Amino acid sequence: MIRLRGLKLSYDTGFSLEVDSLDVRRGEIFAVIGPNGAGKTTLLDAIWGHHSAWCPRPRAGSLSIMGRDAFGGGDRLELRRAMSVVFSQPYLTAGTVADNVALPLRLRGRREPAAVEAALALFRVGHLRGRDARTLSQGESHRTALARAFVTGPRLLLLDEPFGNLDERVREDISRDLRRVVKETGAAAVLVTQHQEGALTLADRLAVMIGGRILQQGEPQEIFARPASREVADFVGVETVVPGRVASRRDNLCAVEAAGRTLMAVSDCAPGDKVFFCLRPEDVSVSLNSDAGGRRNNFPSKIVSVEPWGLEYRVELDCGFPLQAAVTKQLVDGLGLKPGLEVHASFKAVAAHLIKR
Amino acid sequence: MEFIIEGFRKAVGLILSGNPEIFSIARLSLTVSLLATLIAVAAGVPLGAWIAVKRFPLKKLLIALVNTGMGLPPVVAGLVVMLFLARSGPLGFLNWLYTPKGMIMAQVVIALPIITALTISAMQSVDRRFYRQVLALGATEWQAILVCLRELRLTMVAAVIAGFGRLVAEVGAVMIVGGNIRHQTRMLTTATVMETQMGNFDMAIAIGLVLLALGFVVNLALTLIQQNKVITR
Repeated sequence: MIRLRGLKLSYDTGFSLEVDSLDVRRGEIFAVIGPNGAGKTTLLDAIWGHHSAWCPRPRAGSLSIMGRDAFGGGDRLELRRAMSVVFSQPYLTAGTVADNVALPLRLRGRREPAAVEAALALFRVGHLRGRDARTLSQGESHRTALARAFVTGPRLLLLDEPFGNLDERVREDISRDLRRVVKETGAAAVLVTQHQEGALTLADRLAVMIGGRILQQGEPQEIFARPASREVADFVGVETVVPGRVASRRDNLCAVEAAGRTLMAVSDCAPGDKVFFCLRPEDVSVSLNSDAGGRRNNFPSKIVSVEPWGLEYRVELDCGFPLQAAVTKQLVDGLGLKPGLEVHASFKAVAAHLIKR
Repeated sequence: MEFIIEGFRKAVGLILSGNPEIFSIARLSLTVSLLATLIAVAAGVPLGAWIAVKRFPLKKLLIALVNTGMGLPPVVAGLVVMLFLARSGPLGFLNWLYTPKGMIMAQVVIALPIITALTISAMQSVDRRFYRQVLALGATEWQAILVCLRELRLTMVAAVIAGFGRLVAEVGAVMIVGGNIRHQTRMLTTATVMETQMGNFDMAIAIGLVLLALGFVVNLALTLIQQNKVITR
């Protein structure tokens, strides 16, 4: 559906975007995640062919969309009309919900009330068809914008942070509907977002973009469990990253010397490799006794801090190196976890991940 | 004091008696200024929108020039148009000097920068991301501009009101280009000047009142359009 090669694009400000290779297959939802200013929107603008003050023209590269050369110059209107783009704000026009949903058809000189009704139904806003678009709630506005994006039956959908500032429940609701509609219509979708959970809910495949480069792409679970670099690890929430050296290896079990400790990790790194030892906070267990329950890594530690973190708590431990653990409220209350308390931290060797440095 | 009250009394009498000269002058004034406004809108709105949307070198300078044009003194516009339309001027072959066509031309020169400048600033007030969204829905650039102008209709009607108001009240350009010829190019403003100079205060006041009334009626109509959003769809 999309085949992008060697894209190079730079701003006057010095920021540059360089994407070696990006492929989106028919019918899949492909998410690009990355922090603010990573170049995600620029990438999307380059794909749909928008050049403006904030998005310069590509300097190099090739882009093929639906088998057609998109960087070939000439009018991209026809290609543009085969896709739809949804932004973080719905940007509805004056008029009713139905007027708004009908706008892409009107721009193509078409009048198809049946298509409008079908699109309204896809995102369950049929009952709002006669409402003034300016009186909608945020969730309704986003649903209307999505219906508008689907009214032309696009084969490719580009979503730029599509649910910007919606509250979580509404966002999840709409995300589910969006995934259902994309799968039903067989369209391909590219989603760029900094909401990692949103990307995980929606995406079949994932790319991590930081500083104008795609640092890793693959299955979401793969990227979250096995980040390929320190930057990706930081971004996907691997909070414990300790530099060390592989001392020995038996089968796939590596012993890593780090901060005066020996840490065990399942990896194919070779002895002598300099590595980052990476661990997600939710893989760390905290207990008062030294029973590790079969986990290969078990260290006496001292609690440095206990901070609320969403519904959970984040406990920072000192076990020779700083270690972050995600802990439920029940556990914090049950064990009376507080700064200064001596505890044991344990984690499985298979949960750890080594990145060569 | 007496002559003012007397002037007003006679003026009302002239209007109520349906003085044919006053009404033919009023008709000409209205026609010339409305047509000039229409032409200026037809040219200035697309021009202003294009300037606002496009990126090109010296764009800021061009916008500064157009903004300056908003304050173009009508006598200067009239002088320039007269020089162009004069027998030996570049447009002399049109034979438009001292005709309503010539006056329309002069008034277009006055109104065009106003409509263009107000369109530029209105279009530039549109969130670029809204414009981008409309493009992303499959619009051509002109379609996107039209969608934006439709969102801006309140401002755009205000621009038309500003343009027409300026033209109907303007005296310098139509005086120079039209020549204030009776039954041909005499406008409400030029007639007011002439009658005042001749000491016919009752006639001057009567014409002045008609001018005010005309301005009010047209602006009332435009305002109703604006406020009722008759042009929504």
